Amino acid sequence: MTKLQDLIAEAGKCVNCGFCESVCPTLPAAGFLSTKGARGRVDIAKFFYKDDSIDPSASFYSCVDCYACLTVCPAGVNAGKVSEIGRMILAKQGKAPEIAKMIVELTMRYKNPLGVREKCAQWARGIEFDAPETLLYTGNMYQLMAYLRKFGKLRKFFGQYEVQLASFIRKHPSSVSIFHDLYDKAMMDKMNGYLINIVKLLKQNGIKFGYLGSEEPYPGTFIYDLGFEDEFRDYARYVSELFRSKGVKRIITVDPHTYELLKYIYPRYTEFNFEVVYYMDLIGTHKISGKYAVHTPCHFSRYFDFSEYVGRMFDVNVEENPTRCCGGPDELLFPEISENISEKRFNELSKTGLPIVTACPICYANLAKDDSVTDISSILLADGERVSSASVH
Amino acid sequence: MEFIDEIRPILGKYVITKKEDLIPYMNDASYFTGEMPQAVLLPGSTQDVQNIMRIAYKYDVPVVVKGGGSSLTGSSILKTEGVVMSMLRMNHILDLNLNDKCVTAEPGVRLDDLERFLEKYDHFYPPDPASSRAATVGGSISTNAGGLRGVAYGVTKDWVLGLEVVLADGTLVKFGNKTLKRSLGYDMTALMIGSEGTLGVITKAYLKIWPKPERTARILAFLRTIDDAGRAIAEIKEHIIPEMAEFMDKISLDSVPDAIKYPQGTNYALLLDASGSKETVQRRKEDIETILKKYAIETRSTMDETEMNRIYQARKGLYASILKLREKEGEYIVIGDIVVPVSELPSALKEIEIARDQDGIRAALFGHIGDGNIHANIFADLSDSQSMERVNKFMMDMAMISVRHGGSVSAEHGIGIEKKKLLVEEMRFNDNMRTLELMKSVKKIFDPKNILNRGNIFD
Repeated sequence: MTKLQDLIAEAGKCVNCGFCESVCPTLPAAGFLSTKGARGRVDIAKFFYKDDSIDPSASFYSCVDCYACLTVCPAGVNAGKVSEIGRMILAKQGKAPEIAKMIVELTMRYKNPLGVREKCAQWARGIEFDAPETLLYTGNMYQLMAYLRKFGKLRKFFGQYEVQLASFIRKHPSSVSIFHDLYDKAMMDKMNGYLINIVKLLKQNGIKFGYLGSEEPYPGTFIYDLGFEDEFRDYARYVSELFRSKGVKRIITVDPHTYELLKYIYPRYTEFNFEVVYYMDLIGTHKISGKYAVHTPCHFSRYFDFSEYVGRMFDVNVEENPTRCCGGPDELLFPEISENISEKRFNELSKTGLPIVTACPICYANLAKDDSVTDISSILLADGERVSSASVH
Repeated sequence: MEFIDEIRPILGKYVITKKEDLIPYMNDASYFTGEMPQAVLLPGSTQDVQNIMRIAYKYDVPVVVKGGGSSLTGSSILKTEGVVMSMLRMNHILDLNLNDKCVTAEPGVRLDDLERFLEKYDHFYPPDPASSRAATVGGSISTNAGGLRGVAYGVTKDWVLGLEVVLADGTLVKFGNKTLKRSLGYDMTALMIGSEGTLGVITKAYLKIWPKPERTARILAFLRTIDDAGRAIAEIKEHIIPEMAEFMDKISLDSVPDAIKYPQGTNYALLLDASGSKETVQRRKEDIETILKKYAIETRSTMDETEMNRIYQARKGLYASILKLREKEGEYIVIGDIVVPVSELPSALKEIEIARDQDGIRAALFGHIGDGNIHANIFADLSDSQSMERVNKFMMDMAMISVRHGGSVSAEHGIGIEKKKLLVEEMRFNDNMRTLELMKSVKKIFDPKNILNRGNIFD
């Protein structure tokens, strides 16, 4: 089936009941403009395949891929999938937004969206790694959050000229070096700290593993999410080959996006015979003392029941809907929508008066509006130390 | 366009004119596609609505008001050139008074959001159309929406105490208030309910609420015939008013296999709720089950919240889930909605089954057996004129069956554009054309320039 046929098949299952719209986080965040809500995207898709003179890019690209729509659709229509296919069609037609093209081209060239692989490896200085067949793969995801925060501010500064900025960087890729020192230092320290937490947790549990350092490539999340399927296929082949050449057998991921991409998406595009695990699967879990408001990452809700982890470890969670988005996926192209979603979600979590726990670097970066927010690795490490110290005494 | 130029300084970015952004407003949940609006307006306050209507009135611009877009009759799409006014930004719950048993809400509040809000106070707003996830306070008042709890609590008109309304020329009026009683001449609140956005724009609603039953038990019964279902319900209602009394035919059940599995021999299922205090609910459940067992192949019941919710959501999603059973791509669902006196339901339903077969239609039959409301989810190929002719014939057959049994051509979906002809047929059958004239006269008084939802209900 062609992508257009895929689009027709998915959108054609919809009777327009509007259930999806009621849970779509982008609709209220975009001022209730229907095109930027789940049902509107399906409507646009139905129109688009009859009349491709319209420009549906804002509609498809503003979807945050949380799949909340799918959880309530009685007909099993996935409006998120509609947007995903729509983006693939647009990317193939060369109609993706300029910033998306820039990010993809930079990633293809530097194996990192901003060409900062060296910087992304600095957190691991002084840490000893072993057992290269088991790879700790950060995918640069935690580290990049410090850059994206600054990048967002830069975009605001450039305002209406951001398209020109993106075009300039596309023409002069080496100019991306201007970003190399443009990162939020406090955020970088936090993120590096969380990665060190994860290393400690794994080592405490006797797990041996290696790390690729500055050779570690970004997993290609943006390339896939922005709809550049052909480029993603090439990129996935590159990453797969790199892992093979390093003798990797098993990959320990540390964030939901990379876990999903490697475990479920990569095998659809390339030969990928590696065992992919999430680090929490390896460290053993026990009941955490204290109460926390736990934010579930959308990308964990899709493939397994993250609330099972939460239920096993935490006494409390405040999830009314397990797929509430943090707003992160819109940060690059629709910062205002992203900010509105994250503000709303932060307020929901904050109202509990409890410390807020995230389990994804993107969620953390978007929800960390005060010091009450922390990554789950901190809680796990602190509680593990408390338990082991209690057992010594 | 002068109208837009004058509106833009007032609404700013909430005036939408880009073609891509207008497309979703050509549809609601019906199978109709409306005209592309010249603009979509998203007011954030009553003052915004007044300004919009004042300027629209000045320039004779037709305005269609849209809530959750869950209309099944095309009532929230444009039938002529004009603009769409979406009420979704006006989505605040303004006041709750448990002593007065009243909640005050803006029109864009979705019914499920209202339910979640009231739940915190152990109260609820009884009207619960199957579309409650998407449907809004304003939209459900405009169509006098019913729902699954109609058998016990009636429909929207029974729960609206008062309304704030902006008229076609921008004037703000107040109909009713928060009180349970009032005797003040004509009941203008009642007149607004079911008027489908043709008389005014609802900007605030005072709604009656009710304490939530302490416990609920959900009961399923599987039956061979609709007669058995009718007799069972009649006998139950002699003793107990269930909080919900739904029926579903086999095609409907086949569309929700994960939620409801049925035994061999089943042609119909009944879905009933027994509610009350912790002490009474068990007894009510047992009383209902005892009666059902006389007629059913099998009965099941549950008080487990997750299981009850699974069944409830499956029933509420039937309109959409049935499309999973379509035989070819391009098939869509046209939904029928008629009502007959409760006692007439089994015989009316049998006639509808015969008409369905004679008209060569594939349709699932389900609905609210407790209040005589029958729905038909009809598979229709919108691009095939012969298929649509059969569908329209079947819709007319259903309508005439309803009026012959002393019922009505529309129970809870309204008239919209879909049932304009059926409305006339019902009036004609009952020798009641004068009522239709009165309705048209009322419309003229409220909206002399005919700018509010032009072409809806009648031409």
